[in-house]
Amino acid sequence: MPTFLKALLLFVLSLDQGYADEVLAKITARLVKTPLAEGRFQQEKRLKILRKPLISTGTFTYHQSKGVIWKTLTPMPSLLLVNEAHLVTGQGEQAVPPAFGNVFKALLGGELNRLTESFDITGKEQKSSWQLQLTPKDELLKKVISTILLTGDTELRQLELQEVNGNLTRIGFTQITHPDHLSSEQQSDFERLSP
Amino acid sequence: MNVYHPKVTAGLWLAIILAIAALGSQLLTKDWLETGFLALLPASEQQPEIAKAIQQHNELLNRKVIWLTGAANSKTAIAKARQLKQQLEKSRLFSSILLELPQQKMAKQYQQLFPYRYQLLDAQTKRTLASHPKDLLTQNLETLYSPMGQIMAADLEHDPLLLFSRYFNAQNPIKLAVEQGVVVLRDTNKFWALLLTDLEDSHLQLDKLETLLTLVDMANTQVQETGGELMVTGMPLFTARGSDSAKQEISTVGVGSSVGIIILLLLTFRSLRPLLLSSLAIASGLFAALVVSVVVFGKIHIITLVFGASLIGVADDYAIHFVCDSFGAKNWKPREGLRYIFPGLLIGLLTNLLSYVGLVFSPFPGLQEVALFSAIGLLVAWLTVVLLFPLLLTGFKPDHKPVILKVANYWQQHWPIWLLKNRRWLIPLLVIFIVGGLWQLSPRDDVRLLQSAPSDLMKTADKIKQLLPMSQENQFFLVSGRDLNDWHQNEQRLLEQLKLLTQQHKLTLYQGLSDYWPDQRSQQMNYQLLDKTLYQSGLLKRYMTELGFSNTAINSELKQFADAKTKSIALPDWLATADETKQHLWLGCDPNRCLSMVSLTGITGLSALSSLQNLQGVAWVDQVEQLSSLFARYRVKVSTLLTGAYLLVFVGFGLRFGWRNALAIISIPIIATLVSLAMMGWFNQLFSLFNLFALLLVLGIGIDDAVFFFMADNSGKSAAANDENKRASISLAVTLSALTTLLAFGLLAVSPTEIVHAFGFTVAAGIFTALVCSPLVGHRDKQHDNRHL
Repeated sequence: MPTFLKALLLFVLSLDQGYADEVLAKITARLVKTPLAEGRFQQEKRLKILRKPLISTGTFTYHQSKGVIWKTLTPMPSLLLVNEAHLVTGQGEQAVPPAFGNVFKALLGGELNRLTESFDITGKEQKSSWQLQLTPKDELLKKVISTILLTGDTELRQLELQEVNGNLTRIGFTQITHPDHLSSEQQSDFERLSP
Repeated sequence: MNVYHPKVTAGLWLAIILAIAALGSQLLTKDWLETGFLALLPASEQQPEIAKAIQQHNELLNRKVIWLTGAANSKTAIAKARQLKQQLEKSRLFSSILLELPQQKMAKQYQQLFPYRYQLLDAQTKRTLASHPKDLLTQNLETLYSPMGQIMAADLEHDPLLLFSRYFNAQNPIKLAVEQGVVVLRDTNKFWALLLTDLEDSHLQLDKLETLLTLVDMANTQVQETGGELMVTGMPLFTARGSDSAKQEISTVGVGSSVGIIILLLLTFRSLRPLLLSSLAIASGLFAALVVSVVVFGKIHIITLVFGASLIGVADDYAIHFVCDSFGAKNWKPREGLRYIFPGLLIGLLTNLLSYVGLVFSPFPGLQEVALFSAIGLLVAWLTVVLLFPLLLTGFKPDHKPVILKVANYWQQHWPIWLLKNRRWLIPLLVIFIVGGLWQLSPRDDVRLLQSAPSDLMKTADKIKQLLPMSQENQFFLVSGRDLNDWHQNEQRLLEQLKLLTQQHKLTLYQGLSDYWPDQRSQQMNYQLLDKTLYQSGLLKRYMTELGFSNTAINSELKQFADAKTKSIALPDWLATADETKQHLWLGCDPNRCLSMVSLTGITGLSALSSLQNLQGVAWVDQVEQLSSLFARYRVKVSTLLTGAYLLVFVGFGLRFGWRNALAIISIPIIATLVSLAMMGWFNQLFSLFNLFALLLVLGIGIDDAVFFFMADNSGKSAAANDENKRASISLAVTLSALTTLLAFGLLAVSPTEIVHAFGFTVAAGIFTALVCSPLVGHRDKQHDNRHL
């Protein structure tokens, strides 16, 4: 599931192509590659200023050409849609994160190694799982993000983003499946993205 | 007539010209050329505040050049933009070159405005608070819980309600993707890095414009060589290309017509003298016209210059009639020649001056200027012919019979006979042609026809507009109020309507200061609104508690809010933090009123927008539309005046020569004018104000042609044979004057610029018709000795 992994990273990062790396290549090879993925997520944000974490759960859909549906169900329902050109939230159209289009193309190829341009990557590959640690190269990004930790097996299972200011975001993915086609509800959500 | 000695009169001429030159040497060093179109409006309609707004608006547009470097990925696009930036810096053409967003400036702005976050609410937040304050909290939670909310979450510590984040984001309504601090736009398969530049000054000097064009070409080659693409747009580029093509056009047509005229006159006279003399006459006329107009009006408009100069072309007639007369007598002497043609010249001059009288009394300053300019120009050119030529033509006597003289003579003898013989079918045909043509004639006053922008530039501009929907339109609103308060209310009312229009997709974007800076009263109201809806009601406390803020944090927030109660930020302080685009929206206050602009982007419903000018204190400024309607009004006015001129000339001739003769003479320019108009109709030509100036030229030359033929026929007791000689030399003069006019102005018909083409076409059709018809005047049918039309 390399494609979804990258789509997610786009939420916070800027990426570009780089060179191949052995560990990356091996991990890439293990990932399930399909144009469509969906599942459930649990997101936990720990902000220093708050005494308890902000926990939300919901479902996600990744489609190779259409983009991502991020549907938060608890504690309050909300919908976020994003593709290479548009980002729509409950508060209307927003700016699309940097380099999204570029990465989006990389998604189609499913090459994790494109991450090396923007990040120094160290990783370990074990029998049943793998782990990658990303540290930003870009000076601007370094001021915000200290590390990103990715864990997975044949799918990406967890993403952990450590910010310089001490805030932490952790997103876990479960019940990942690869259906053949979109449901009609997913279809209509994606239609809102490309008016 | 005894004082009429060539040397005396030449001295007189020199004195006049020297006096004008002395005057000119003082005046023309100042700024004497007016280009703003508002100066063409009748004085009662000129509104200085609109002029100021337009000037400010244009000044900004006239400096902006937008560059986009394209590549297959964003990194390469940005790298190319950085290279381009260096190249542009070296050129020293620009006062500002913006590639990376000014992060320090934005951070500074953030810090300066942050203390006023309870007073500075954006329009959307205000609406939400006023209707459903809880929604604001829900939206905050959505943001915080979303995977995208990192940056917002970082603000939470200082601004738990995210009020200032909202306000700050609302200031930049277009959401642009930023990478490495550079704005990157996305095309279907390309990435474009954005570079914004401002030219050093908005007064576009031609040499600078050329440097700009060269720079664009160089940058283009450089970017393309490395496999990238470059798109550039901006007003300066249009101006540069426009003046470039106009220059080229004028020089091509100019060279063509000069060569034609030189060859024609050389072949006819086998001497350079006639050519030099007629150039001298026209040059003196132009110079005197310029100086006198500047004395009278202070400044003259570029339109005056263009059309006035064209009308002075009639003066060519005087010179040619004079020199052609040398073929009309055996021992021709300039003084005697002048004596013979003087009545014709005088009548020609008086007719032309008469036809400008009407223009002087029109309320339009442009027409008054044209009238005075042309009148002075003609008068001085005429004086040059009458006063100076006798001396300079001394000894001029061509002893050859040029072919063109023979042709012209043969033609003037036989052509009218043929015309008269066939009048049974020629006249109905002419009537049908004229009526049919006039039927199809419809005016087009659209000012956009004036400038024909190169299509490649237009294409690039359109593409950039699609990628980057932020370029301002030509149209804008002007909002005024008695004081800041009143202005603020008026602008807010307008912005509410504009908001509706954006929802109806009649407009993409608008920018008005009052959305960003609430006036003192609104600042207090914003604070009170927050106080009532979130703070007093306990909603804030509950929201913060539920989110997990500590009690200390909650109390600190409450205290900060309480402390900020009396805070307010004044407009000048706010403007100091704003970017240039926003600063330009403010036009200032004087004791009586305050004034601002509201800029617009992506207009699709023009009429819906213009109808908003009914709101209090709101004026709609549409330069294109206003200029077009101005041209339409000028056209109607000049049409009336042209008709008036014909009547005046007719009455003058009637009193002098009898009504029947007057009718014969005036019928020549009338037919020429009608045929010219009909031709425009048949060939679907542009018909606007500019054609009418061409028709004034047709009137002047047509009358001259007819009068000279008439005078040849009525030159007193001279023998019939001599008469025929005179008719021959006059037909030569008429032919030569028609041909030179056709070469000088008719050639403009080949211009691809529609307006120039229209002018040339009108002159060509009219002059040719006048040439064809004029021998009918005073033509004697030898058998019956009857005069026909």
